Amino acid sequence: MSGRIGRRAFLGRAMAGMGAAALAGCGAGGPLPAGSGSTLESTWGDPTGDGRLRVLAGEPLIARAELSAPAADVGVLATFAHLTDAHVLDASSPARVPFLRRLGPPFTSTFRPQESLTAQVLEGALTAVRALGAELVVQGGDLLDNDQGNELSQARSVLAGGIVTPGSGPHRYYGVQLASDPDPFYYRPDVDAPRHPGLLQAAVRPFLARGLGLPWVPVLGDHDILVAGELVPTPVTRALAVGDRALWELPPGLTLPPGFRLQATSSPDGPPAPGSVHEFLIRALAGPTVRVPVDLTRRQLTAGEVVAELRTAAAPTSTRTGDRLDYAVDVGERVRLIVLDLARRGGGSGGLVVAGQPAWLAGQLAQAGGQWLIIVSHQPLAESAAGGELLSLLDRSPQVLATLCGHTHRNRIAPRATAAGGYWQIETASLIDYPQQARALRIVATAGGGVAIRTWMLDHVGYGPLGRISRELAYLDAEGGRPQGFGGGRLDRNVVLYRRAAVRS
Amino acid sequence: MSAPRSALALALEGLRARRRRAVLSGLGIAVAAATLSVSVVIGYGLGTGFHRATAAAGLPDVIVRFDPQAAPRVAARIAALPDVARYALRLEVTNVGIGARGHQRGDAVAEVLDAPGTHQGYAVLSGHDLGDRGSDVLVEQGLASAWGLALGDPFYVDGLGPQRVVGFAEGPDDVGYPLGKPRFYLSRPAIDAQLGAQADPRVDLAEIWLRNPAYLSEVLVQARATSFGLHDIRFATRSGLRILIDQAAGIVIDLLVALSLIALMTAGVMLAVSARAEVQRRLGAIGVRRAVGATRAYLTVAHALEATLVALPAASLGVLLGGLATVAPAGRLETMLNEPAPRWALAGPLLLAWLAAVLIPSAGAAWPAWRAAGRPVARLLRGADVASSGAGATTRGGVPGSSPRLRGGLVALGARMVAARRARLAVTIATLGLSAAFVLLLLALASELSSLETDPGALGKRYALTAALPPSAAARVRRIPGVLAAAPRYEVQGADSFDLGETIDVIAYPGDHTTFEAPALVSGRRLRGGREAEVGAGLATALGLTEGSTLALALADGSELRLRVAGVVSSLDDDGRVAYIPASALLGPEPAAPSAIAVVLAPGADVSTVLAALTRLGAAPTPVSTAVGRGVPLVDVLRTILRAIAIVDGLVCLYALVQACALTVQERRPAVAVMRAGGGGVGAIVRLLAGAALAIVTPAAVIGVLLERGVLGPALSHLAESYATLPLGAGPAEILAVLAGLALVAAVAVVSVALDAAREPVIRGLAT
Repeated sequence: MSGRIGRRAFLGRAMAGMGAAALAGCGAGGPLPAGSGSTLESTWGDPTGDGRLRVLAGEPLIARAELSAPAADVGVLATFAHLTDAHVLDASSPARVPFLRRLGPPFTSTFRPQESLTAQVLEGALTAVRALGAELVVQGGDLLDNDQGNELSQARSVLAGGIVTPGSGPHRYYGVQLASDPDPFYYRPDVDAPRHPGLLQAAVRPFLARGLGLPWVPVLGDHDILVAGELVPTPVTRALAVGDRALWELPPGLTLPPGFRLQATSSPDGPPAPGSVHEFLIRALAGPTVRVPVDLTRRQLTAGEVVAELRTAAAPTSTRTGDRLDYAVDVGERVRLIVLDLARRGGGSGGLVVAGQPAWLAGQLAQAGGQWLIIVSHQPLAESAAGGELLSLLDRSPQVLATLCGHTHRNRIAPRATAAGGYWQIETASLIDYPQQARALRIVATAGGGVAIRTWMLDHVGYGPLGRISRELAYLDAEGGRPQGFGGGRLDRNVVLYRRAAVRS
Repeated sequence: MSAPRSALALALEGLRARRRRAVLSGLGIAVAAATLSVSVVIGYGLGTGFHRATAAAGLPDVIVRFDPQAAPRVAARIAALPDVARYALRLEVTNVGIGARGHQRGDAVAEVLDAPGTHQGYAVLSGHDLGDRGSDVLVEQGLASAWGLALGDPFYVDGLGPQRVVGFAEGPDDVGYPLGKPRFYLSRPAIDAQLGAQADPRVDLAEIWLRNPAYLSEVLVQARATSFGLHDIRFATRSGLRILIDQAAGIVIDLLVALSLIALMTAGVMLAVSARAEVQRRLGAIGVRRAVGATRAYLTVAHALEATLVALPAASLGVLLGGLATVAPAGRLETMLNEPAPRWALAGPLLLAWLAAVLIPSAGAAWPAWRAAGRPVARLLRGADVASSGAGATTRGGVPGSSPRLRGGLVALGARMVAARRARLAVTIATLGLSAAFVLLLLALASELSSLETDPGALGKRYALTAALPPSAAARVRRIPGVLAAAPRYEVQGADSFDLGETIDVIAYPGDHTTFEAPALVSGRRLRGGREAEVGAGLATALGLTEGSTLALALADGSELRLRVAGVVSSLDDDGRVAYIPASALLGPEPAAPSAIAVVLAPGADVSTVLAALTRLGAAPTPVSTAVGRGVPLVDVLRTILRAIAIVDGLVCLYALVQACALTVQERRPAVAVMRAGGGGVGAIVRLLAGAALAIVTPAAVIGVLLERGVLGPALSHLAESYATLPLGAGPAEILAVLAGLALVAAVAVVSVALDAAREPVIRGLAT
């Protein structure tokens, strides 16, 4: 039987999917959220602390004057959005290692209750971005979750528009969240609270994505090229991904090595020690496995393949040669984004500055002229190996306005005061963990030759009720963004970040 | 004189004229009021006890037990859960040696509070709570009562030495001493201050209060998902705790509440009947007053006032006596259940009971008086019944037929006399029948209470013996006289497959396991297919199992069984971590699973005979040990309560019979007088009244037995099935006892009324 879907069949399935999801209920009620997803108009919160999200009033912009006194706006220089860590994933993939979650940190991200809904959340985020009226979108890395071909295909479909078919295999979903799975560690929407019967079927039904309709610039993240954001694909993992054996249960006796702890600077979406997952995987494969449907579209990609795919989406003005995704792109006439590829090709989720990158960056900084520069990377520079070298370059440049990154899944903004005028270090939450937000950035010129970044968060505007269910589950997740404070404080979200005029020495 | 004052004067005059009758009516009302009072004390006190206890103690929404862990680690996990308002941690140390006031125990439970504070899941009844300093101990109320402890008493704790009792507490998360183990609370900071801080303080119990308890299920899902690294996890929700406590005593509480309601109905009927009977006696007087111009309303008010004047002191006395008789044992029971006594909260319900005891007789007198006063005066003067007489009714208290010396003698005559008033007969029989059924139920319950101490069948296990014989011997065992059923019972220890550390008692039978073990279903249905399981509620909560989900069992040999959950059952064994599965499913992976032959005895079978037969087969038979070893004190208290209720109910029966006999004599005064004038003495009256009593008691006994066995017993068994399998149908012994009791009550009533009637001059009866 052909796997192709006709238009009539697609529409039928899509309607059925939405109907089923609507039947599942989504806890809707009370005031409606802003259709634009702008948190200036409304946002989600839990004022009573009872675990239920409600629509709240929007959060106004707050001026932050650590680097410069507030000044009046005199004109918009650029508007763009930063959405990062979408982790579009194939929840049916046998190459996933969800059982590791029960070992606790740093493996808690190996399973998430809402993980079957990542494509829908990305679609919802794009809806909010479209309403923003941005000139372009920075896709901040970790667009994929497990370096799989079908993940990239689905993510590209969401961004480009068209029919998106989540999942894999003939059932599209065949994983640990099935009601028939007896493992109580996994949230099973058909039997566990909050119950959403039929959610898994609704999650893998094809849907029609509108597409971004804007230029977007990719940033390479660890999950885009590494298995679980950690491992370079090996023959073992490649065979697992497309094969018929899956590991769903914690193998007997598998424990964390003594002293194995998550570091404060580590990403929540992967363990810190390269090779640890591989070690677990090899040990686990010796234990019981589950038979799952084969699907060759789950093929794991090489870094080169991923970079080549993403490169076609970029519109660089200056690109390094080779397989690294370092480039610069202008947003309007006065703002330039310099994108750095810090993903480790040899494995490991942390950022790594490679040879040649400092020199390339120095060249880019030197060429900036009067443009304001925003340095974009997936991992925070300060937490990347040899990142200090890059920061010292930025510290000396009066044109650097901000650094922008993801990876930490956390909203955070901190000033970095320097003799050259300083810059803002901006981190944006992920689309997979609570609060599942993207960031809008509007660069405005201010009186006196200075500049300000008006930035606010964008809530995804769901595809039917699925997006809302995803946010609800992400919020409830006791290992997720809520208890870890990924939403950040008020000063990490909707703020105006002032910077004085650049003064060249 | 105004009409109301005149009516009051008339009522007082009536009371003075009929003092003995008023006293008798007052006694009846007092008995009924006492019944009402008993019902209220038991029904309200026990029925609302758990709610009161949870409110007073601030019982947490969920209690999680696990193997000892570092307190900060547990705190971090809990803080990450959604909807958590607050939490408290403690270490539960078991088998602690304690001593005070000459008592000693080696199995006490010390609750070591990690951070003493206001919310710890118990209520301090007297004294003060624990602090961070001092050698203080907070003792559970049940233990304090049993040992006669006072505030400030020294309290010896093994390992800590002498402590000081600073308060008494009730924690409704478990039953109290002596139902449960002796329990007391300690402060970890205070212990650390005494002995030096521990390097790695551990806790094994967390109490969690939610902001919105409606989201408990969501919290439990997250708690399970984040429980990695914790072992032997057991969740107890507030409703689950209630079930656990109910399993200890709830069946009895619910039954007592139900019985109280029945008593309430009986008392109500009795009061109404009594009042109606009074009016019936005075039909002639009503006729006279109507003849001289008294209005219908005036007479009605006068009768109502007269009844009220009798009812006021009688109801007060009855409510007081009923309350005093039961409040103490009910309080003891509540203390055992760690539930506070209702105290002043009882005042409202008791006041309502008192009002009912006053108003029902008043209304019961007013209504028939109103109806009677509306009838033609001539008919009233002839003494017609309040209600319309049936075809068989006679007039003016005449003797049915032509002569008292008819076939069947005086006994038959008495029966026909009482049968002449069909409506009254029906009501009296109904009252007596209901009371008889009530007493039968009490007796059956008392019998089952005894079985709670010794009979495992009462708590879901229907087999009485196990025999160490191979499965193939089951057929031979079945042929032993006195054996109703026998089958291999396989029992192995399993574990969950997911490293939660849950041990699971896996029980398997080759056929229908409910023949041998039928723990009550909480949800779902009994297992049918070969790949299905029934799981205990404790296991279901721990593993998130519901009807339709999959149970994965890791067996000792490393194999795994996956079964569909058909139902969740309430089981006491192993904290409810039990799975009933078909033998075929178990024997696949474990063909040599250990087994014994479970033996269900036929009713009335001689256990020793069966034991001897099993021994001859080469088995080592073992009677199933008691399931409720801690039940003796509870049963004692319950027996006291049941005795109080039974005595009151017996008085109800006696009063109903006395009323019926007295009314018969009253109505048949001319006939009785003729009989006496003809030489009949007290013996003749006794025979006459015995016939009347027989006509009432015989059908009442039949109705009582049928009602108990067909309606009340099954209904209460159904009510109890959440806790235990209790066959509450009365047996032959109980039925015989009730029949004997009825006979005795009838004899007392007959003799009493006969002696009373014999004291009346014959001429007065003839002149009526």
